[in-house]
Order: sequence, then C-alpha cells, then structure tokens
Amino acid sequence: MTHPDLRTSGAFSQRSSQPAQLADVLERVLDKGIVIAGDIQINLLDIELLTIRLRLLVASADKAREMGIDWWQGDPFLSGGRDGNGALEQRLKRLEAAAGIEGDGDE
Amino acid sequence: MSAVAEQTAWYVYGVVESSFASTLEARVVEEGELAAVVDVVPLAVFGEQALEEHLNDRAWLETHARAHQEVLQEISLAGPVVPFRFGTIYHESDDVRGMLRARETELTTALARVRGRVEIGVKAWAGPPPVQPARAPATGRAYLEQRLGAQERVRAASAQLAETARDSHLRLLSCAVEGVANRPQPRELTGRDEAMILNGAYLVADVEPIRHEIERLSADYEAQGISFELTGPWPPYNFVDEGGEQ
Repeated sequence: MTHPDLRTSGAFSQRSSQPAQLADVLERVLDKGIVIAGDIQINLLDIELLTIRLRLLVASADKAREMGIDWWQGDPFLSGGRDGNGALEQRLKRLEAAAGIEGDGDE
Repeated sequence: MSAVAEQTAWYVYGVVESSFASTLEARVVEEGELAAVVDVVPLAVFGEQALEEHLNDRAWLETHARAHQEVLQEISLAGPVVPFRFGTIYHESDDVRGMLRARETELTTALARVRGRVEIGVKAWAGPPPVQPARAPATGRAYLEQRLGAQERVRAASAQLAETARDSHLRLLSCAVEGVANRPQPRELTGRDEAMILNGAYLVADVEPIRHEIERLSADYEAQGISFELTGPWPPYNFVDEGGEQ
C-alpha cells in the first residue's frame, strides 16, 4: 500500500493535543465530501442555506441577536460582492423562509 | 443481527476498497471491489424529520459531526477513503449495495484521486491594521482630506491583503497535487480578532514540502501582521466531489 501511514510519521503529533476547531469540522462534514443522495434526505441540505444556519448555530444566540440577523451581509461571498442590498435581502428572505428562521434572529 | 424493536437505518461514512475494508475494525457493506463504512442508526434519531430537528441543536450537531469526522479520520490515516457528506442514510443494506453498484465508476475514480494523499488545511490570518495617530483637523478642508486619506488607506490595505492571500494560495498550490481556496470563515464563526484571509485546502502526497512553504510564508509576511495556521491531515473532503452534482 502506497498510502503514507501518518499515524507513525510524527509530522502531525500536534493534532493529538489540539482538537480540530468545530468550524473546520462542520465546514467539511456538512459542506464538503461526496454528495450522494441517500434514501433519507435532509431536505434543507442546500449548501448556501446550511452555511447560514451553521453560522447562526455556531455564533451564540446572544451574539447573533446583538449583531442582528444581517451580520453576514459583509461577507463578499454570500453577498456575491456585487449585489445591491435588494437582491441579497430577497435571497436571504427566501432562505430564511425555507429554513424557518425568523427575520428577527430568534431561533 | 438480533431482532430489534427499534427501527433502524444504515448511515454511510464513506467508501473504501474492499481489500482495505477487511483490515478495518469497522462495520462495512461490501459490493465487488468497493465497501461502504457504515453504522446502523436508529430512525428515531436519523429519520428525515428527526434529523432536520437535530440539525438545529448545536450540541447534537457538534457531537455527531465530530463522530463522523473521527471515523473518517481514523480510516484516512491508514488508507484511501472517499468521505461522504454528513447524513447519507439508507433504509437497508441492500440499498447501500445498490448505491455502490450505481456509483462504482465515480467512487473508483475518486479513490484513485486521493490514494496516497491527504488533505491539509491552511488558514492565513491578518491582524488588525496599525492605528493611525489621529490629529484634530484644523479646518473643514483638512478634515475632508483626512477622511479621504483614511478611506484610501483602507482600500490599499484590503487590496494588499487580497494579493497576499492570492500569492500564498499559489505558493501552497505549488507544493500540492490540487488545492482549493474556500470561503474564509467570518469572525463570528472563528471567534478571533484577526480576519481570516485564506481558507485553503490542499491535497498532498507528502506533508513536508507544504509545511516548509508555510514556514517561508510566515517569515515573508510576518512584517505585514499575517500569520499562517496548518490543520490536518484531514480525510480528503475537499477532493472527492466532481463539482457538487447531486
């Protein structure tokens, strides 16, 4: 087998003392990996939507409220970096409606 | 398998070669050359509606996302695996076999792509910009000039950060078989004062070259307040999907 056996290489011994950041784990297991439709679908497993929900989940509820629901608007990737607010707001409203997220930031 | 009152389903973590599967201490469903690494899970937890509710539960999501990652991590350190996205569930083991048959070509190609390689994450962080000593403007004109000057500095600084991120990604790519610059995580997610300017993932056969490049990048950009962080090795989550088709 040509696969490098990293368990013995010692190159990443640091990882045992440093667990992966939750955000890094969620980003990978929810957003990456091969997507194959199983029998049971997570209906809302739309990547954009999930990214937004994920951020809401990871930020503390208080912080999310404090910041309002619009704090990702500064993100050029989510806003497309070119939208006027109108298009973005519409898109968010659609996503929020689909996610059952209230516009005022309550879960 | 004992008869259980509880209704269950088959949760797929990822796919490996059958020959490798036999060396794993994991439950597998084999079909020809391929094997799915699976768990039997209760439908009460992983059924469609339950799953959707649970995804809103931060503690539940963290526990199960980490469990998914840990299973794949252990396997990926020993041999090639195609990680599945969280929450791929089948009613019966025959359905899992059907998936392996239907997706044989795609899965075999993905396994070949990641064989002997691991995914390394690299993040670049930018510290806060240096504070300009503020001097009270003497006139309205001086005030406007100060404002314009400040705006110009912000523009220049952000252009420089973008260039730093681009240069870093290209240099890291030169040590990798493949690479991707993902959306940087926002501060709300990272909880850090620094801004993430690069969130890269790189598929490498050997980790030393990219480790050294990170050291060189750190030295080159230290004066600009940029720091680099390596994570992994990860299962090759970023390098198994051909463009995210369903």
